[in-house]
Amino acid sequence: MKKKVLAILTVLALAAGLATAFTSPPDVLQGDFVRILYIHVPSAWLAFLAFGVTAAGSIGWLFTHRMGWDRVAEASAETGVLFTAVALATGMIWGKPVWGTYWDWGDARLATTALMFFVYLGYLALRRTTSDPYRQARRSSVLGAVAVVQVPLVYFSVKLWRTLHQGLTIRPDGIQMDGAMITALLVNLGAFTLLYLTLVSFRTELAGLEEAAHDSEASVRSRVTVPRLGEVEA
Amino acid sequence: MAEGDRSPGLMKTRRWPFLISTGAAILIAGFFLVQNIGNDLVYYLTPYEAVTQRPDFPDGRRFRLAGVVVEGSLQEGSDPLRFDLTDGASTIAVLLTDTPPLLFDEDVNVLLDGAWQDDYYRADGALVSHDENYQAPAVTGASGS
Repeated sequence: MKKKVLAILTVLALAAGLATAFTSPPDVLQGDFVRILYIHVPSAWLAFLAFGVTAAGSIGWLFTHRMGWDRVAEASAETGVLFTAVALATGMIWGKPVWGTYWDWGDARLATTALMFFVYLGYLALRRTTSDPYRQARRSSVLGAVAVVQVPLVYFSVKLWRTLHQGLTIRPDGIQMDGAMITALLVNLGAFTLLYLTLVSFRTELAGLEEAAHDSEASVRSRVTVPRLGEVEA
Repeated sequence: MAEGDRSPGLMKTRRWPFLISTGAAILIAGFFLVQNIGNDLVYYLTPYEAVTQRPDFPDGRRFRLAGVVVEGSLQEGSDPLRFDLTDGASTIAVLLTDTPPLLFDEDVNVLLDGAWQDDYYRADGALVSHDENYQAPAVTGASGS
């Protein structure tokens, strides 16, 4: 199975990522705390990618009404929410020793990320208002398409506002990072990309099964009439 | 049959305006929320801004102040902790009553929470912010990184 190969590759890549995260040099200011970066940054970037794919799937569904688009949109949104949660959690764990606080609502990067997290939780909640796959797609596709505007907002928040969170490390004028750290970041980015692909492919398959289950249940229900209590006793 | 009847096309045209307006409302609310966080409540002032806007911030009116701890200004062991904060343009004398974070040191970016007290900025909270540059410590005796 192709998915199984992908899953095995993901595990190997994550192991390699962990190895590079621990063998890369410590930061001159932060020391070993900098290693959280190798989980925090790939999680955040993959969340951005995931919500971009959700928008693409949502727009695809709106134009074609083919359920395959919606399955990918749903799978990617769930994975994106997971990655956002990881980015938020690791950011807080990193923030406590380095900044001196877990959280600060005044920071635009933190606040916009939290907002993005809750909007996509809302997207998933909206899908749960019905078990009918077609209705799920119709109710959530517009939100899935427009909510993606938050991604550039979160990404550029550190440039748009004054923040506690540091600015962009990778800029047009160069990457402000030690060479061995860039390598470790890229290895982990690759591993997290594989993890994203694995989760989305399994979740998309599951969405297809859910759809088939719903359809067969619906067809059974349309053929069976529910007996009334009084009639049964009589 | 009535309960199980879910013909997809029936409600299509009626739901659209609802969905679009809900999406728009969420976005507008989010935009204003972010605007408020970012602009109206200025996250922090630089020492230069704090000095030039001194009349707007009488003693005791709280604001946040961010800058670099001046090299050589930190009086170790003093209580409250005494140091100077600068942004290159202005320098402010600071008294910090709280225990600073682990990475607090001279030549480090800090974000303080407090208010003016005469010529001092009296802070009861301090956060350390690092910049976006990540460097390996220089290894003595080895070449390159």
